[in-house]
Amino acid sequence: MFEEPYRWMEAVSTRHNYVQEKLKMGQPVLSVPYDDGVLIMGFSPQPGKIFEVYDRIALGGVGHPADVERLRMTLLDMAHLEGFNRSAQDVTLARLLQFGIAPALKQNFEEIQRAPYIICLLLVELDGAGHPNFFRVNYDGHWETFKSGTVIAGNEKVMDEVQKKIQDTPFATFTLDKALEETCRLWAESRKQYEEDDKSIPMTLKEAFDQWYFEAAVLSGKVERRAIYRALTKEEIGKLKSSVG
Amino acid sequence: MNADPNVSPGDFFGLLEKSGYRWHARIDPSQAQNAITVTHGTTVLAFHFKDGVIVAGDRRATAGNSIMYERCDKVIPIDDYTLMAIAGVPATAFEMARVLTHNFEYYRRSQMQVMSVEGKIRALSKLLKENVGMAVQGLGVVSPIFATYDIKSKKAAIHFYDMLGADFKISTHTATGSGSPTIRGILEHEDLWGEKPLLERSESDAVTLAIRLLQTAAQFDSATGKARPEDNIFPTVALVTEAGYRFLNDEEMAGLCQASLKRGRATPGGN
Repeated sequence: MFEEPYRWMEAVSTRHNYVQEKLKMGQPVLSVPYDDGVLIMGFSPQPGKIFEVYDRIALGGVGHPADVERLRMTLLDMAHLEGFNRSAQDVTLARLLQFGIAPALKQNFEEIQRAPYIICLLLVELDGAGHPNFFRVNYDGHWETFKSGTVIAGNEKVMDEVQKKIQDTPFATFTLDKALEETCRLWAESRKQYEEDDKSIPMTLKEAFDQWYFEAAVLSGKVERRAIYRALTKEEIGKLKSSVG
Repeated sequence: MNADPNVSPGDFFGLLEKSGYRWHARIDPSQAQNAITVTHGTTVLAFHFKDGVIVAGDRRATAGNSIMYERCDKVIPIDDYTLMAIAGVPATAFEMARVLTHNFEYYRRSQMQVMSVEGKIRALSKLLKENVGMAVQGLGVVSPIFATYDIKSKKAAIHFYDMLGADFKISTHTATGSGSPTIRGILEHEDLWGEKPLLERSESDAVTLAIRLLQTAAQFDSATGKARPEDNIFPTVALVTEAGYRFLNDEEMAGLCQASLKRGRATPGGN
């Protein structure tokens, strides 16, 4: 059935449409630098959007939870084996992506007999020199790197719009509180791109805080321990809620 | 969640084994006949104080009668709330610490919950049990102290292990290594008849006592190193409390050693 090149290309194209359609409602995850590290945040109807991968690496996911979970475990396995066999300093996002999940994702996507991963991932690290590196990985293994922060979302219009605003905002000079407020504001602005008649999606920050789960974590340059990932505390989230809600 | 019921989810040992790594050492009967005579050229200690647990160790590494190294770190952080103090063969002990670090962190990240204190204690037991082959051949005896803080129950715990992996919960104090016989009696005396039981002592008092104990051990045990302030060599002293572990840095230790080792009864904290 797929012996002819055209049929294969058509099948791949159909897979793109299928995955994009499935991802469409994926809610944004934003990651930006701030004056002491990197912030990663997002709202979602179910918890499980933001994760710690390794000492200086965090992950945000959009898509099918089981697929996000499989890739999260793959990243965890690779990072911990590398960190154990060599050193934590050898565990870098560029290596995990370039030699790890990106080729595997591409191969999986183009083997059209297999189910594709329905995912879009945001990966971020604060490297040993304190520089943040932001990566976005697609379901087909395509990945991009960003200098000043990035966003993932199922809706491409939302993603492009928020990405532009992230690039135009001097997040690296902001305190954590200000970066949190500003990312929440960008998240709220992104609501305009969603259909207003879909009642299941919160349209304001207040609704989002009330109806959904807010997840946020930082990779903090101030932490002296090996693992610098820290989920925001209830107190920090409460403070944010009262300042933006 | 791993679908295989025979594989424990979040198990770093299993992951290591899949990658070809083998911790388990076979017992060679031809070598096992000699009793274990490996020297523990070390003094490490731990005791409960008011805010948690203090863990301390000297810095000397020896091979037979030779002093090989004076800056050895024998108190090793395992995770944010756990420290391991090691006596015995450094290669095996450091490897155990490395396996445990990755095991606890891998579990925490993959299962999205901190491993229970019982789970952590069991993990070290398992490593010691699987190391018996090396230990009975006289190649890899390790006698560790494991100190951790349970954030759920808000209680600190100290566990001491034998070579076969049996763990013993310590409610007051413990010490291991060649210098330990000298100071175990002092610790017991301090706890029973000192100015205060160890558990009621402040951080400052606990640090002072730890420094003095290690200096005393070094006086009687050639395999335990003394503080050498002129070379910036100080014992390792770390605290495990509700805030996690904290190592005292060289600057702090310089002042504390000077004050603690001054002759007389006065303590640096003035208590």
